[in-house]
Order: sequence, then C-alpha cells, then structure tokens
Amino acid sequence: MKKYITLFIVTAVLTTACSESLDDINKNPNATEIPDPAYLLTGVEKNGADLYWGNSADYGGTLLFVQHWAAIQYPDADKYDITNTAGIVTTPWNTGYTTLITNLNGILALNDDIANANYKAVALTLRSWVFLLLTDLYGDIPYSEVGKSVVPKYDTQKDVYVGLLADLTQATTQLAAANGAVKGDVIYGGDVAKWKKFANSLKLRIALRIADKEDALAKQTIAALNVPDLIGSNAETVKVVYSTSPYNNPQQDHFVSRNDYRISKTIVDKLKALSDPRLPVYAQLPKDTESASDYAGGANGLYAADAMSQGLDKISLPGTYFLTPTAPAVIYSYAEALFNLSEAAARGYISGSAETYYKQAITASFNQFGITDATVIADYLAQPTVAYNAANYKQSIGEQKWIAFFGQGLDAFAEWRRLDYPQLVAGPASVLEGKIPTRVFYPGTEQSLNGKSYKAAVANQGPDLLTTKLWFDAY
Amino acid sequence: MKQQIYRFILFFVSFIFSVNAYSQTTISGTVVDKNTKEPVIGASIHVKSASEGAITDHNGHFEFKTKQSFPLSLTIRFIGYKTQEIDLYENQPVEIGLSENVNFLDEVVVTALGISREKKSLGYATQNIKGDELNGNTSTNIVNALAGKAAGVRITNGSGDIGGSRIIIRGETSIAGNNQPLFVVDGIPVDNSQLNVGDQYRDFRNAVADLNPDDIETLNILKGPNAAALYGSRAAHGVVLITTKKGTVQKGLGINVTAGVSFANIVNLAKYQNEFGQGTEGEFSFVDGKGGGVNDGYDESWGPRLDGRLIPQFDSPIVDGVRQATPWVAHPNNVKDFFETGVTQDYGISIANAGDKYSYRLGTHYQDQTGTAPNTQIKKTNVSYSGDYELTKRIKVGANVNYIVTDAPNIPGTSNGSASSLRANNIMLQFLWFGRQVDTQSLKEGQTVNRNWNANYYDNPYWQQFYNTTEQKRNRIIGDVHFSVNLAEGLDFRFRTSTDYYNDKRKSKFRTGSSGAGRPDGSYSEDAYIVSEDNTEAILNYTRKFSDDWSLDALIGYNVRNNRYENNFQNASKLAAPDLYTVSNSKDPLVSTNLLRRSRVYSDYASAQIGFRSWAFLNLTGRNDISSTLPSANRSYFYPSATASVILSDALDIKNNVLSFLKLRGGWSEVGSDADPYQLATVYNLGSPFNGNPIQTSSTTKNNADLKPERTQSTEFGAEAGFLNNRIVLDLALYNTNSIDQIIGLQTSPASGYSSQLVNAGKINNKGIEVQLRTTPVKTKDFSWGLDLNYAANRSKVVELDKEGLLTRYVIGTAGPQIVAAVGERYGAIFGTAWKRNANGDILVGDNGRPLRDPSNKTLGYFTPDWTGGITNTFTYKNLSLSALIDAGIGGSIYSSSASTGVMAGVYEQSLSGRSAEFGGLTWTDANGKVRDDGVIFQGVNENTGQPNNVIISAETYHGQSAHEKYVYDASYVKLRDISLTYTFKKSVIQKWGIGGLSVSAVAHNVAILYRDKNLDADPETALNTGNVQGVTGLARPSARSFGLNVNLKF
Repeated sequence: MKKYITLFIVTAVLTTACSESLDDINKNPNATEIPDPAYLLTGVEKNGADLYWGNSADYGGTLLFVQHWAAIQYPDADKYDITNTAGIVTTPWNTGYTTLITNLNGILALNDDIANANYKAVALTLRSWVFLLLTDLYGDIPYSEVGKSVVPKYDTQKDVYVGLLADLTQATTQLAAANGAVKGDVIYGGDVAKWKKFANSLKLRIALRIADKEDALAKQTIAALNVPDLIGSNAETVKVVYSTSPYNNPQQDHFVSRNDYRISKTIVDKLKALSDPRLPVYAQLPKDTESASDYAGGANGLYAADAMSQGLDKISLPGTYFLTPTAPAVIYSYAEALFNLSEAAARGYISGSAETYYKQAITASFNQFGITDATVIADYLAQPTVAYNAANYKQSIGEQKWIAFFGQGLDAFAEWRRLDYPQLVAGPASVLEGKIPTRVFYPGTEQSLNGKSYKAAVANQGPDLLTTKLWFDAY
Repeated sequence: MKQQIYRFILFFVSFIFSVNAYSQTTISGTVVDKNTKEPVIGASIHVKSASEGAITDHNGHFEFKTKQSFPLSLTIRFIGYKTQEIDLYENQPVEIGLSENVNFLDEVVVTALGISREKKSLGYATQNIKGDELNGNTSTNIVNALAGKAAGVRITNGSGDIGGSRIIIRGETSIAGNNQPLFVVDGIPVDNSQLNVGDQYRDFRNAVADLNPDDIETLNILKGPNAAALYGSRAAHGVVLITTKKGTVQKGLGINVTAGVSFANIVNLAKYQNEFGQGTEGEFSFVDGKGGGVNDGYDESWGPRLDGRLIPQFDSPIVDGVRQATPWVAHPNNVKDFFETGVTQDYGISIANAGDKYSYRLGTHYQDQTGTAPNTQIKKTNVSYSGDYELTKRIKVGANVNYIVTDAPNIPGTSNGSASSLRANNIMLQFLWFGRQVDTQSLKEGQTVNRNWNANYYDNPYWQQFYNTTEQKRNRIIGDVHFSVNLAEGLDFRFRTSTDYYNDKRKSKFRTGSSGAGRPDGSYSEDAYIVSEDNTEAILNYTRKFSDDWSLDALIGYNVRNNRYENNFQNASKLAAPDLYTVSNSKDPLVSTNLLRRSRVYSDYASAQIGFRSWAFLNLTGRNDISSTLPSANRSYFYPSATASVILSDALDIKNNVLSFLKLRGGWSEVGSDADPYQLATVYNLGSPFNGNPIQTSSTTKNNADLKPERTQSTEFGAEAGFLNNRIVLDLALYNTNSIDQIIGLQTSPASGYSSQLVNAGKINNKGIEVQLRTTPVKTKDFSWGLDLNYAANRSKVVELDKEGLLTRYVIGTAGPQIVAAVGERYGAIFGTAWKRNANGDILVGDNGRPLRDPSNKTLGYFTPDWTGGITNTFTYKNLSLSALIDAGIGGSIYSSSASTGVMAGVYEQSLSGRSAEFGGLTWTDANGKVRDDGVIFQGVNENTGQPNNVIISAETYHGQSAHEKYVYDASYVKLRDISLTYTFKKSVIQKWGIGGLSVSAVAHNVAILYRDKNLDADPETALNTGNVQGVTGLARPSARSFGLNVNLKF
C-alpha cells in the first residue's frame, strides 16, 4: 500500500518537476512593460498627426463645418446630422486621451535617467497641444484629474486654457540643449530650440483663444513672448511628413478606397473671387472633360441625392498637393504664427504693425504651398479685397487665416468660431435650423461611464448640443 | 550458480502453482433481456467487492474464475438496463434476466472527472442526452443539435448553415468573460473557441463542431458549479461531458456503416419591396455605377417606379459605345435566387469489438457540406480510435485518439466584425443596400469581369463568392493515454495524460480588380493559429461498502494543465503581381503580427461520496488550484462543495402505484476562476516603424497587479419524482448563483487615461428554475407515445460593477445600440437611442417635420428570454418511430440593424408606405417648388407648439428617420425544430440478407418558425457571433431549413 502512495506522489512530482516558474510563464512575450521614450514619442507624433489630419476629427467633421471640404456622398456630418456616437464626437476624445495623453503621461512618468528633461518638456508641449484640441472641440473637459481618477472631473474651459499656459511655461523653461538628446522625434528631429518655438507659439495661440474673455491674461502672456522665440520660418512649421504605405497621408488615403468628399464650393468661390493662386494647389480640375476647364466646389449640407447629383466627376477633388501619399500633416504653420502676431498687434498686445504681420502671414502661406513669385504675391496683396482692414481686423485675419488653414479642420473650426469670419452659411439640408455647430457632443459613453462629472459639466457649460457656444467663443 | 537458478525457478514455479491451486471456482451463465429473452451482449458481471468478472459474449454468455467462496454476490451492469445484484449459493450456470431501465434514477451517469455515479446519489441536476438523439440530426454542428433538448440550455447562431454557434447554460454568469460551458470528451477537455471572427468577417465554426456526433454514446450536461465543481476554474458556466462509443462485445462483425444526405434551403428572408428600383429622389440612369450616371453610385432603392419604362442599366447592352435603355422591372426573387440548395453528405464506418481482455473501436467519418451561399463549403474527416487492454487482472491500459481534418475552401461571411473594410465579405451587405431591379442572372453572367449593379462599394456578388475567399484548414488531434492499477480491494490508481492540439490556418484572398471592396490591387493574408491544451492527471480512488448501511467512494487527485495559444498573421494588403497569392507578393511592407499566450494550472482535489442504506448520499468535493495567471500572493485558491440527496420514497418506504419514487436533493458549491494570461502588468505594444522610428503605444487597458481569483457560488435544490410506475417522471431544479470578484476590463472614460481598467469587481446574480418532465401517456405492446417537456426560466441581475459604485454600466459591446450590463438590471440590456417624447409619450417633432432623438440613451430591452422550453413527442409503432421537437424562447428583445438599413435604403417592404399616392403618399410641394405625391407626416407633436405635427416630408426622408428604439423587436419564437421518422428493420427479416441491423430515417431540422415577431427580418435566434454581444442581428444570412435521409447498417 505504502509503495503505491509513494508511486502516486512520485508521479505527481514528476509531472511538475520539469516546470519553469509560474511567474516566468505569465511574463508577457508579446509586449514590453518598459517603454522607451523615443518610441512613445514617435507613436504620439504619428498618431496625433493622424487624428488632426484624419477622417473623424478632420475631413469627416470639422473640415466640413468650416466648408473647406464638402460631402458628395453620405452627407450626414455635412448636414450636422450626427449623434453622440459619431466619429467626429468619439474619435478625438478616445484617441486624444488614451492614445495621445496617456502615452505622453507615460513619458512624463519615466525616471529622469530614462527620459531626460527635454523628453519631458517635449511631452508636455505635445500634451498641451492635445488638450487644446480637445477643449476647443468640446469645451469643459477632464484635465487636472486625467490619469488620476476612474471618473475624472471636467475642468472648466477657462481653467484648462490657464492650466495649459502654465504647462507650456514649464516646458519652455525645461527645454535646453544641455538637458540631453531627444530621439524618435519625427517633427523636429530632436531640435530642442525648435520645440521651444513650438511651445511658445502654442502659448500665443492659446492666449488669443482667450483674448475675448481674459484680455489681461492674454495680453500678459503674449507680451512675455519674444518674436524670435516663435516659429520663424516655413522650415520651422510643425508638421509630420508622411511616408510610404501604410504610413500614407490620411486625407489621400481616403480616396484610395472611397470617394465621399470634394473641395467645398465655399472656399473655391472665395479663392476665385480673390483670384487666389492657391486655388490650383487646393483643388484639382474636375475629371469630367466638359467641366474640366474650371474648378468647381461642392456645396455643403445638401440632401444625399442633391449632393450626388452634382456629379462625382464634375466637382473638384482637393489638390494633389494634399492628396499625395507623402503629403505633410501641418499642425502649426509659420503663416499661423504670423497671423497670430498680426492679431496680437491689432489688439495692442504687442508693438509692431498688424498689417505688416498680416501681409507676411499671407506671404508665408503662399510660400508654404510653393508660390514664391514675388510679383504674384505683391499683386495679390494689392487687391482691395485682400488688403488689411484695420477697422475690422477680425474679418481680414479671419478670412485669410481660414484660407491658410486649408486642411487643418480643427483649428480652422476654432478660429472661425472666435473670429466669426468668414461668414459661413449652413447648407439647405442641414438639421440645426440654419445654425452651424459651435462644438461637438460629449461622447455618449461619458453619460454611462462618467455620468456625475458629465452632468456637472453640462450644468456649467449649457446643454450638450452641437450649437451650445463654448466659453472662449464670446461673440 | 546453476543451482541457485534452478532453485529460483523451482521456487517461482511452485509459487505460481500454489496461487493456481488456491481454490479457483468457475462461474458461468447467460444474461438475457427479461422481456424479449434475447441475449444481452457486452453486459459486465463482477463479483462484488472484488476485481474478478467478465463481459458477456455475443450469445450473452459469460464465464470467469474466482477465488471467492460461496455464497457470493454478482453485480450485473448494462447501459439502458437496471443494474442487478444476485446472490449465488452454489456453482451452477445461471440465467440472469435484466429489465430495461424505466426508472431513470437507477441510471448510471457520468459525472465530473468521468466518474460514473448512480443518478440517485447526485445532489444536483444533470441531464443526459443519448447519442442517437444527436445522431441523424441534419445539423453539422453538435451545438446546434442540442437546441431545445435540455432545460436551461440556450443556443444562438449566425445562421442555420455553415458557421459558429453559441451555447449558454443557466444564463450568463460572467459579466465580461466567456460564458460558454467547458466541453470534455472522455475526460479530455476540448477547446471550443471561435477564433478571430471579427477581423475576417467570416463565420468560422466553433471548434467543438469538429466532433463527430456518430462517435457520441452519451452527452451529459452538468449545469453549474454544483455539478462541475471538480472541474475547477472553468466549471462556473457548466460542463458538457461527452462519452464516446467504446468497443463492446459484438454478435456479428461489429461493423457499423452510416450514410446520409441532406438538403438545406434558406428561410426567413426579409420582405423586400418590388415597386421601386435603384436610385434616389425617383431618378436613375446607369453609366459606371460610381456616380457617373444619374444616381448610379447610389446603393439604395429610392429610384424610379418599376413599371417597365426604359432605363440604361448595368446589364443593358452597349451598342456603338452607347448603353441602351432596357425595361425597368422588378426581380422579386433576386436575393433568394442568389442562394443555392446546400448539400451535406455524411459517410461513416466503424468497427468495434471486445473480448475478455480488450475492447476497441475504430471509426472514420467524412462529411462534406456545401452552404446555401454559392461556393461555400466545409469538408471534415474524423478518424477515431479508442481501445482498452487488460494487461493483468490489476492493470489496464488504454488510449483514445481522435484526428480531425477540417478543410473549408471558402467560409461564408458573417454579420459582424471590427474591420469595416471587410464588411462586404458578408454577401448580405449588398443585398441590403440594393437595387430592387437587379437581375441575379445578369450578376451571374458578370462574375468573371466583376460587372456589378454598383461599382462604388461592392464587387459582383459571384466574383466575391468565387474569388474573394477565405479558406480554412484545421488539423486537430484529441487524444490520451491512460492506465489504471487496482492496488487493493476497492483501491484504484488512475493516470491519464491527454492533449487537444490543433493548428488552424486561414488564407484570405481578394482578387486583383476588387475595387468594390476597396482593394483594386487585390490582397492576400494568412492567419495561422496553434492552440493546445495538455492535461496530466493522477487519481487515487477508494470505494468501499463498510456495512449494509454505509458506503464510501472517495478520491484524491492531482492535475497539471498547460494551455498554449499562438497566432501569426501576415498581410500583403496590395498585391504587386496580380492574382498571385503569396505573402511576399506585396507592394506595401508586409504587415505581420504574432502572439503567444501560455498558462499553467496545478490542481489538487478530493471528493467523497458517503452513502447510507442506498437512500441517502452526501457528496463533498474540494479543489485547490495554483494558476500562473494570478499574482503569487493570490495564485493559490481553494473552493469546496457539498451536496446531498435523499431518496425519500426508499427512506420512508412510501412506494405505491401512484408515487413510484421521490428524491430530494440540494447543495452549495463554490468555484474559483483565474484570469487570462498577462493581465497583471500594463504593457506597451510595438507598431511597425515610422520612417525607421519604432512606435510604441500603451495598451488602452490598464492591467492590475493585484488580481484575485473570481468566485462563483451556487446554491441548488431539486426534486425528482416518478408517478404511475414511472410513466411520469418529474425533475425540478431551483438555483441561485452569485458570481463575485469578477475580473472585468471595466470600461472607463477614456479621460481616465485608459478605455478600460482591469478590476476584481462586479457581482452578477442568476436565479432560475428548471423543469424536466418525461411521460409515457400511452404504452401498449406495439405502440407507445412518449412526451418529454423541458422548461427553464433564468433571471440575471447585475448587482454591482465596482466597489465604489461609481460605474453604472459595463458596455459588453456596441453593434448599433450598446449591449450593456447595467447595475440593477438584467444582464444584456440593449441600450440605445430613443425618440424624444413628451409626458404623454408622444414623439416630439421639430419644425422641419422630423422626429427628435432623446439625447440620453435608454434601455430598449434585454436579450435574455423570460423562459425557454421544449416539447418532444415520440411515437413508436412496431418498428416505426416518429419524433418531433417543438421549442420556444419567450420574451427578450432583439435589435435589427438590417431592418434599420433596409428601410432607410428603401429596399424593405416597410419602406413602401407613402412613396406615391398609390401607397398613401400626400401631395406636397418641395423646397424646389416641385409638386410631388410622396409626402408623409411623421406622427408626433411639434416640440415648440405642442400641436400635432403637420409638416410634410418626403417618404425617403421619413423612412430615413431612425432611432434604435424603432428597430427593437420581440425576440420570442416557437419553432418546430426537428422531426425524424425512423424505420428499423426487423432482425428476422434482415438476417436473411446477412445484415445485423438496418434502420432508415428521414429527418428535418429547423422545419418551421411557428411564432415570431412578423416585423423582424431575421430568425430571432440569430446572433452576430458567439461572444456576449447578443440580442442584435445584422446582415444575418438567412437561416437554413434542412431535410435529410440517413441509413444505418450493422454487420
């Protein structure tokens, strides 16, 4: 009997004796627990560009709202007929928080010997950019408790902007060549000086965003900036240049498999009215030979049938400049920096001529799109329709900035709301009783997952509707 | 030296002789059926409390030697007969008559770990299904064959055709995890995954469909933790125990041949309108199907009236470069005509036999099923062997091997997935967004050139079915080696090592030119899996009857389980050379991913059954698991169970003509469950490099280093009673199950930093009642009528999601509406958009005449039925038997995303109302000043004025208004599930032909839906996949009704 029990035990032991430890077995062989700040940075820059330049947030949403593009098929978003589960609503929120901010927080949380102060300052700059996109789009958003609570509270939009200014100040203080190399940076190749310019330029952008509400803070912030510390040339433009497949420019990627959009009639007509040489850059001639002699935009906010009946081949596609696989995703252009300076001057925040900055800004935009002929530029600027109107700087800057922002839907949308120019008209089939969205819904999941915070935000900000005006949007 | 050897031999020989000389008695006799007096072949005869015994031969004869002295008692066992004990007082050949087992309490059933127990001794509900009841069913998936047959078992599937099915026992006990039961075949746990349906949009079969129903002797459903506690971690959702056929003593050659053929046709197709064709706003003219003509890029049917007018169409002849106008007419059966008759052929042959020391069965089975969708097919070959050999009186060895080859040239598309670019893999997509004028014959003719009615989004459906295919090849081996040693009287040692191993490879092709699918270059991907589970177990079993009063059956055991899952995916998303399907033929860098998951569990367990006078039994079990997937501090966890049964009718001796027996049972149990591998640390995933820079991103799920095991606790009571000589047998079960500390990837606001966070939280309660009733209302010499009923009602309640109570809903999945687990509600709520209503419940309408949606989502229903039940009628007249199963699921809701699309796209019949004056349309003038007759007023109240809405909108706009609420339907159904008619030839007749047995049966499956919500466009039992997102149908292939003929021949 005894020996059988021994046999039993031996068998039992034999079956386990060869084993490796259970901890080893449960060590994940598919992914690492230890991140590399360079790899995280590349991921955020690439994914951030995809969000900013991609379907849901850009051309499937805000690019239609600002009438840069128009839907020729499936015009739901172009009619503002969207719900709180639509891509324009959920994607910026989900990607912004989980893919971008979490990974940036990942860099910030690393030990200093793994991620030096420059990595962290770059991360802080990029994080500010992402938070800015989010608050511009939704209004009050979780900011101070992100990553700290399962049900983070929503900070008021004002608090977010003010917080971001402080974050950027910290980033600029930290950025110094001596603080170590930054690798994996596909925007600036690790050039710390340029990052400092981006951070400062973001402060400029934010300060103007709040200028109508917090004049003193805006003025103080901008007065503290020096022009040479800002993005100072097209070479310093913040952008991610796309590459070979599968990393193609998301706007051109759309047209590989789908055919839902065209350039908007609104911007085509405007460019025509101004004899703007950027028109051939922004638009292609229609495919149809009969109408190919002239550019034609698609109207926004039509019924599906009406949109379609414009004719897929009779309406211009966006320009090949944008629809090449390696087209850049511009995040902050030199032209925008100059427009911002122009407005700062117009508001009296800085010395200098608003008009000069304005002309420089338009010139920078022309250069950005490859138009460098001085005569062409001078002729353009000389037109009364283009000339800077000191009596209504919002109109001059608003319209020209809107043109320069072509493709940058999220920022064009924010600036259109703030400057109230150009004066856009909602399409005939739009469903907001003639209004154009002034924000987007909070994602529907927030109601179920973060209900208390959501309700508090709605109570503070106003109903969770597309037409609720955000705090910064004073007029 | 020589002498020593000689001495040794002498000693040895004398030893053997001395053993032999030890009073050996030969016992012999025959075993016959008490009624028919026919010999019973393969019955086992054992001397009680000893290992001696024999099995009857083909004459029912047995003979063996024993060392025991008279008087001795023999136990005679045979499946389907009452176990009998007789006492022998002298050595004389005996004739033992066995009577058929009418009292199913005396049944011997297989319980956890393969232990045979008398049913009466069990403290929990169990339900046996005989192999014959599954056999001869035309469904090719064993899971489908269970539908309606067992109380509390729920089956849903993508379609009744080729594809995966989901089985749930006693409701969902896990909020987020797998809820399907564990399948165990002859003691070997087998995998039942449905791998990667989502990414491929293909309806792969669930893995347990590999089993061959012909091999199954019995299938026993252990319905919950009480029955299955010994299986540990995976028992919380029940266990399906399958016992395969073994070699038995044969009268003839032991050869069994089966052949069957069945035909499947589609049923439950949606109702289409046939009055208006493709286009929008009443206009259409085809040029290129991409918007080049008038609305020809439009995949909807809001076009011109189908009145025979002449319009250029996709199949119109082109003369001198001009597409001619051809008659614009309806093709009412264009969807139906696309589908074919599916044919399933089955051929099987097995040989089985047994002798004194051996038993074996060797079988092979081939099945070839073609689907109702063109060019879909699965071929399956099973080869199975089981054999046992008695090495010595005390040592037995044996092995089981089941080798299965699944070869599917093309798997049909499925309803749901994550990669929207592959959505068109489901052929139903383009029939839902359809031009009702399309002629299927023209599509067929356009197959090779991809000529289609719409070139924007779809390839020609025949092109798609024949060239854009996903093939699947799966090689699987399930097998074990086992031995047992009888160590002493009543003490056995058993050892088994087993494996379930398969590799499963899918190759997906898109032919160059598939521009409709967004793949003009074509593409090719390979998706390969290797899945295995190995178990090694050792068990020491002790059985003893201490006195007339007390008996003990106890065991201790040890098991090591290793699981491994490997996936390698490679995708050439754009082919460089056309129509060459290799992964290296890629324009873009090859996308390649691989994944490996491993886990190991060590388990110690023990169980004891203490019996008192054969009418009271106490069953105790305990198991301790040590799992690799949990942190070391929480890795080892123990869980016990205690159940008891009392045969009151025996205890109180109250047997009479009315009450044949009465048993009460009850118990409590707990099972623990570990996590999936690698859930302790949050990881960063690597993506392919961007311009040479590696990309790393954090997982969007925050893992948890402090995970604890999940626990499921279950209390169960029941009663079994037989009346009128067991003509009525009732089995009643009540249970209450709480699952706590659930490991959930709790969905969190992305603003928390992660879209989900892994926690031990969540509590879900399931309560239910199950009734099984077996009756024999009529029984005469030639005729009998058997009526079996089962009924089950389960109520789940999500008690808590997180400890802090901050979260109110867990989103199980989104498929149109969200399917959620909401605190305080039943599991599986359909949570989606609803109309905005005033206090009276009127729908509020805006000034533009369109209804408004409530900004807050609402619970629109639950996918779980209120109750399910089945009725089986079996009529036997002489050699003819007819059986019919009707089953029902009552209550519960289902959302149809297809209906939403079909109405919006003007394809479904519902979209006809208001489309012209003929269909009730109002005359109105639109914004362009055009007078039209397709006006509709949405019934509701103006949001601002409070007055009834009077704004006219077009029918197209009207039918495009939707909220999820509008397309939620009652999921109740009553189905005539199965009918089978079997004729068994009389032995006396066929013996002349040299045949041992012959039966012929005609069977039908999914015969008719007797009741369902008429507005629902699909079978109410359809589901998107086998996961927990149920209660949603979308793009479901029409279900299949099949008829078949089977022949079973024995030699």
